[in-house]
Formats: sequence, C-alpha cells, structure tokens
Amino acid sequence: MTDAISVSGLTKAFGSARALDGLDLTVRTGETHGFLGPNGAGKSTTIRVLLGLLRADGGRARLLGEDPWTRATSLHRRLAYVPGDVTLWPGLTGGEVIDLLGGLRGGLDRARRRELLERFHLDPRKRARAYSKGDRQKVALVAALSGDAELLILDEPTSGLDPLMEEVFRETLREELRRGDRTVLLSSHILSEVEALCDRVTIVRDGRTVETGTLADLRHLTRTSVQADLAGPPHGLAALPGVHDVRVHGGRVVFDADAPALDAALRCLAEAGVRGLVSRPPSLEELFLRHYSHTTEAAGAVGSAGAAR
Amino acid sequence: MSALAGTRTLAGLALRRERAVAPWWIALNMSMALLLIGYIQRVMPTDAVKAAYTAVISRNTFFQALGGGFVEPRLDVLATWRSGGFLYVASAFAAVMCVVRHTRAEEDAGRAELLRAAGTGRRAPLTAALLVAAGTSLLGGLLTALALVAAGLEPVGSAAYGAAITAVGWVFAGVAAVAVQLSRTARTATTIGLFTLGVAYVMRYIGDATRQYWLKALSPIGWGHLVRPYQDERWWLLGLSAGVAAALCALAYALLDRRDLGAGMVPERLGPASAPGPRGPVGTAWRLHRGLLARWAAGVAVLAIATAGAGTLAGQLAAMPGIAQGLLRNMGGPTGGALDVYQRYMTLIFAHVIALYPVLMVRRLRSEETSGRAETLLATPLTRLRWAGGHLALAGLGSAALLAVAGVVHGVLYGLLVGDLAADPPRVLAGMLSHVPAVWSVGAAGVLAYGLLPRASVAVSWAVWILTAVLGQLAGPLYGMWAGTPLEPFHYVPDVFGDGSFDAGPYLLLFALTAALVGGGLLALRRRDLG
Ligand SMILES: Nc1ncnc2c1ncn2[C@@H]1O[C@H](COP(=O)(O)OP(=O)(O)O)[C@@H](O)[C@H]1O
Ligand SMILES: [Mg+2]
Repeated sequence: MTDAISVSGLTKAFGSARALDGLDLTVRTGETHGFLGPNGAGKSTTIRVLLGLLRADGGRARLLGEDPWTRATSLHRRLAYVPGDVTLWPGLTGGEVIDLLGGLRGGLDRARRRELLERFHLDPRKRARAYSKGDRQKVALVAALSGDAELLILDEPTSGLDPLMEEVFRETLREELRRGDRTVLLSSHILSEVEALCDRVTIVRDGRTVETGTLADLRHLTRTSVQADLAGPPHGLAALPGVHDVRVHGGRVVFDADAPALDAALRCLAEAGVRGLVSRPPSLEELFLRHYSHTTEAAGAVGSAGAAR
Repeated sequence: MSALAGTRTLAGLALRRERAVAPWWIALNMSMALLLIGYIQRVMPTDAVKAAYTAVISRNTFFQALGGGFVEPRLDVLATWRSGGFLYVASAFAAVMCVVRHTRAEEDAGRAELLRAAGTGRRAPLTAALLVAAGTSLLGGLLTALALVAAGLEPVGSAAYGAAITAVGWVFAGVAAVAVQLSRTARTATTIGLFTLGVAYVMRYIGDATRQYWLKALSPIGWGHLVRPYQDERWWLLGLSAGVAAALCALAYALLDRRDLGAGMVPERLGPASAPGPRGPVGTAWRLHRGLLARWAAGVAVLAIATAGAGTLAGQLAAMPGIAQGLLRNMGGPTGGALDVYQRYMTLIFAHVIALYPVLMVRRLRSEETSGRAETLLATPLTRLRWAGGHLALAGLGSAALLAVAGVVHGVLYGLLVGDLAADPPRVLAGMLSHVPAVWSVGAAGVLAYGLLPRASVAVSWAVWILTAVLGQLAGPLYGMWAGTPLEPFHYVPDVFGDGSFDAGPYLLLFALTAALVGGGLLALRRRDLG
C-alpha cells in the first residue's frame, strides 16, 4: 500500500522568508495523522502545496501517489479540504455554500448533510455575513464530511469552535474513522485534539520536521509527573539524576521524572512508605513546551529527537 | 454606573477613526460648492447668458427636478442650485454612515461588548456617534459657508446654505440612530438609513418634477432646498430640521433602553437552506456575483433615464441657435446633426462607465483569491482555468448586457421624449453594442495583469481604465485633441451615428487584442502561486 501523503525535503520561500525549510511528512493510508506546530510553523503552507495551490521551490511531494501540482484536478475529486481560516461569500447562506462545494465535488449525501447540520447546531438559512467564526468553520466541516472523500485534509478545523462543538467534532470524526477507509491529515496547535484523535504525529517548527512517530514513541522522550503521599521524607530523591522539580508539602511530594529515572525514583518512594500514588503520562502539551521553549534543555531534547529519527 | 459614562472616551476614539473619513467629506462639500461657482462664472459669464440658461432650465422638467426648483439668473443662486442637489444628499449620506460605523458596526465586531464591560454606559456609544456625526455635519456646513464667503458670495445667504447642509446631516444622523436600534446588523442599519434617504430624495425629485410641492415639503432633503439660500432665506425651516433630528434621537434613546446589546427589533431575513442543482463555473460565478451585476444594471438604467431626459434639453438647444452652437462645439462632433452628436457622445460616456465593470470583476477575482474563498473552491475538482473562466465569462457577458440595458432604456425613452420611437431605439442600441469589443479589451488588460502581477493587478487595471479615459475622446477636448488619441481602444470604434458604413476591421482587431490579453493572463495564472 502506498502512503497517502509523502513529502520529503520540501522547501518554499515567500520572498526572503523561508516558510518551509526541508519539511518531511508521511501519512500512511488509513491513518489519522496529527500535524502539529505553533503558528507560523509552515503547516498551512505544506497543505497548500499538497493541494497544488502553491508550487514548491524544492523537495518532493506526493499525494495519493501523484504529483499535486500537475494532477490537482483529478486528485481533488478524491479529497475534501477544510481551510484554517474559513472565509465565505457574505451574501450566500450556509446551506448554499455547502451545496455549492458539494456540487463541485460531485454530489453529497443529503441525509448525512442533514444529520451533520443538526449535530453542529448550524442554521443553514443564515447568510454567511451573520455567521460567527465558529459557524463558518462548521459550514466547511459539514461540506467536507458529508461527501465521501477518501482523504480529509483539515487545517486547524476546530479553531473558533466552542468546547462543546469541539467534542461534537471529535465524536463525528471518530465515527468517520470507524468506517476505516478514510485517511485524515489533521493540522493543529491544539494538542489535546491530536492526542484524542490521531494515530501518528508529525511535529514541525520553522518549516522543518522536528519529530515524527506514534504518540507512544514520542512519550518516552518526555517526563512523567508523579504525585505521592508518603509515610516519611523521601531521602535523596531530589539528588537522583533525571528527577526534576521536586516539591514537598508535608507528607506529599510532587516531581517529574525522565523515563530512565522512573525506576530509581519509585524505589526511593517505596523506601519512604507509599500511602497514595498518582502518576500522569506526559501530555503532548509538555512535549510541545519542551520543543518550543527556548531553553538549552529544550534544544538538547530536539537534538536527541532528531537523532532518534 | 451612569448611562453616559465613557462618552468622552468613545467620542475621542470615534474622532480618531473619523480623521481618515470626515476630512474627505468636508473637502468634497467645499470643493463641490467652489467648483460650481467657477463653472457658472466660466460657462455663463454675462447676465444675458445666465438669463437664457435660466429660461431653458425653467422650462425643462428634467433639470428642474434634478436641481430642485426655483432658479434665478444670479451667480450665487445658480451655483448653489447646482451644488445643492448633490451636497444635501452627500451630507445626509455621510451622517448615516458615520452613525452606523460607530454604533452597530462596533457591536457587530464585538468591540462594543469589550468597551461596555470596561465600564462605558449604555447610552455612551450612541451619544458619542451622534456627537461626532453632528459635529462633522456642522463643520461641513460651516466650512462650506466660509469658503463661499471667501469666494465673494454674500455672507447671509452663504450662512443659510451652510446651515441647510448641516441641518440635512443632522436629520439623517437621527434617522440612522433609529435604524441602528431597529436592525440586527450594521448592514441592515445602513440599508434602512440609505433607503430612507432614497425615499426622501425621490419625494423631493418628484415634487419638483410634477410641481406637487407638498411632496417636497414632506422630505428632509426638500427642507434643505426650501431654505432657498441667497433668495428669501427661510430660517425657520432649519428649526424644523433641528426639531425633527432631536425627536428622532429621543426615539432612538427610548428604543435603545429597551433592547439588548447586539439585538435588534427587525429580525434578519433568512435565506434558502439549500441550493439544488449542479452548477458549472459560469453558474458558480453568476451565483457569487449576480448581486453586483444587478446593482450595475439598476445604476446604468437610472443613468440612461437621466441621459434620455437630458436629451430633451439637447432638442431645445438645437432650436436655440446661439447657445446651441457653443455647447455642441464643446461636445466635439465634426459631423452629423446636433442630436446625432449628442447620441454619439452619450454612448461613449456609457461605454466608459461600463468599462469599469470588468475592472471591478478583476478586482473581485483578486479579492476572491486573497480572502481565501478561491482556495476553498480550488480545492475541489474545479480547475483554475475554469474558475477564472467562469468569472471572465460573466464579466464579458455582463458588460455586453449592461451596454444593452443602456441602449434599450436610453433609446426607447429618448425616442418617446424627443426623437422617433421607431428609428431611435435600434440605432442607439447598435451604437452602445458597437463598443463591446473596446470595453472587453480594457478589462482584458486587467486580466493579463492579474495573471502576471497579481499584487499590482487592481492598480494596473484601474490605471488602464483611467488612461483610456484621459487619452480618449471624452477628456481629449479638455486639451484640444477633439478626436482623442489613437492610444486607446474606443478610438477605433466606428461611429454608427455617422455615415452608416460598416467596417469589420476595427472589431476584429479589438477582439484579437482581447483574446491575446486574456490568453496571456490565464496562461500566467496557471503557472503561478495562488493566494
Ligand atoms: N502568502 C504568503 N506570503 C508571505 N509569507 C507567507 C505566506 N503564507 C505563509 N507565509 C509565512 O510562512 C510561514 C508559515 O506560515 P503557515 O504555513 O501559514 O504557518 P502555520 O499554518 O503553521 O501557522 C509564516 O511565517 C508565514 O508568515
Ligand atoms: Mg495555518
């Protein structure tokens, strides 16, 4: 099976500003792939290259095995796209926009359309100028999800949605995925979203890929947070290599540990007598902070991640 | 918290934003008033000419209606009669836009919520907007009056004229204040305000045209005209305007106290929930831009009614040897009778105006691209060529249709009023349509720019249109080139009102030019980055 998206060494400059600087991205057919990075990292630019809207300066991009620039039209029959910043025609109603896009893509499923409108609480009779940002986003989502494209390209699809609607979106996308024949590229800077939905993740910064792998792959690079209620003081815990930010309040100790240091840290806790223990896997937020905070420590982590790749 | 808390801050904020708008309106008022003094002085240097002109005007319903009645053969009356019809409307328009801009538009943008939460009172935004709008109207009237005094007109009449301009602005600031309370969005508020202005104008116009002066007396625009500056200065009408403005403001405040922030009294109209049926690129472009085309068609039709009406004057002038010859020389035709020259001149004006339509469509194409809407469409199987082609087909067919509207309306009405109903409409229609290839070629230059230099395309297509006008037969007479220059496309359009011979050569040339420019533009579009 070929990869749905394969991008290697992609470069693109706007004037003197380099938006993409050797970006790599591989999305396997049938998977949901998170495309993570802070604002300005180059996510949208990559997607525009994949859609044949921009022409890359260098590198290679393949979409469903074909060249996105020369084969744009036939490729577009097989995908649906939700732009990051949805702008609509102010005089058209949401329903008209959905049908316009659906018609251009070769038809949509009326029942599915109705169901999605209901779920997202979207009034299709309102004119686009009366919609909020979240409403406009919903219009694009309904248009994309009520077709049967094999590839969904979603550029920050939940920006502007309230938490309730974000949950509706996740629920809907999970259902889509359960069908099993769809590939999704989900760009985001909302980490919990990617965590909740994606099989694999690619993290980009400054137009370059800094990480790629499954969520489990990435987690071993980060710290686990531990909170323990102890019978006595944990002697020597703070001095262990790989244990950070130890705080003791009465009988409770809170700290972070690198994966290799966990074993020694837990032994130390056990010696002090454990009465209660909570440990939390590293969230992608923390992973993110380490990649994008500009401390020397973060730079080291990126370096090792680069080597691990 | 007082309902007016923060008014001063908001007014300051509004004033800062107005710095970019109000000075232009005020400058427009002043220059329009001064220009028309210069115009009257130049065109009607002697009392005899003024008297002759007044005689013609007073017998012509169309001009009577356009200018607003009661003209006397004096410089001050003639000049302010000519500028007044425009300035009262301009002052009202500026006031409506100003009030909506600083109230409802702010609510729409969510900024009002921010400010309200920061401790500004309920009535503060409306009060600030009214103060700024009223101040702008006042300044516009005052400076216009001063400019007129400086130009040597009598001070009392000038003060009355300035005050009338201000008073109309105040009434419509009040109208907008009410409209803003009634509507859900800034757009609806603007629509209500401008619709009221339109009704007031039409009532005044019809009142003057039919001499049913009670209609005029019911219109706030009419009150401005009825002040009759430099004639008998009816000051009490200014009091009436101020009273009505105050009553409207009181009503607006009463409504404001009864509604929620962001809510209105008139519900927004809902549209269709779906758009059945498949559409091609032309159908898509039509759906997206039909509103613009409809507005253009309406505008062109109104202009055509006006030109046909003005044709009645051309007829009367033709019967008055002295002035007629002078004016006709200005219209610049070496051949044909007075009316033929008039027709030819009018078709040329329409062709130039309608050539703006493809220029605006190129601008739309560009704004579809920069706004990201094109991206949404082009991520579907729609290709760039078909997308742009749909827009261009609409621009091309649309401009031809607009010329046809101009031809039919002007031709039929002119035939009814002045000429021959059997002969004129087909001739005028043919005259209008003969400009289609030239109009297309002007738009096509914009398409080439759009493909090659997207960022500069809007500027380039405007520049091409302006150069066409400046180098052409409309502006040519200003610098002594009666036939314009061969550097613009309209120069090559054969004169169907002339000897009637037909030559396909120029048309083929213009078609070829259009095809080459559009082809080049599309080719470049296919190869470049989008967005
Ligand atoms: N059309 C453009 N012209 C100039 N610079 C651009 C353009 N599009 C994107 N950029 C720049 O490229 C960089 C990457 O942008 P983008 O791909 O939109 O990032 P992301 O989607 O990850 O937030 C940013 O620095 C942005 O300013
Ligand atoms: Mg983006």
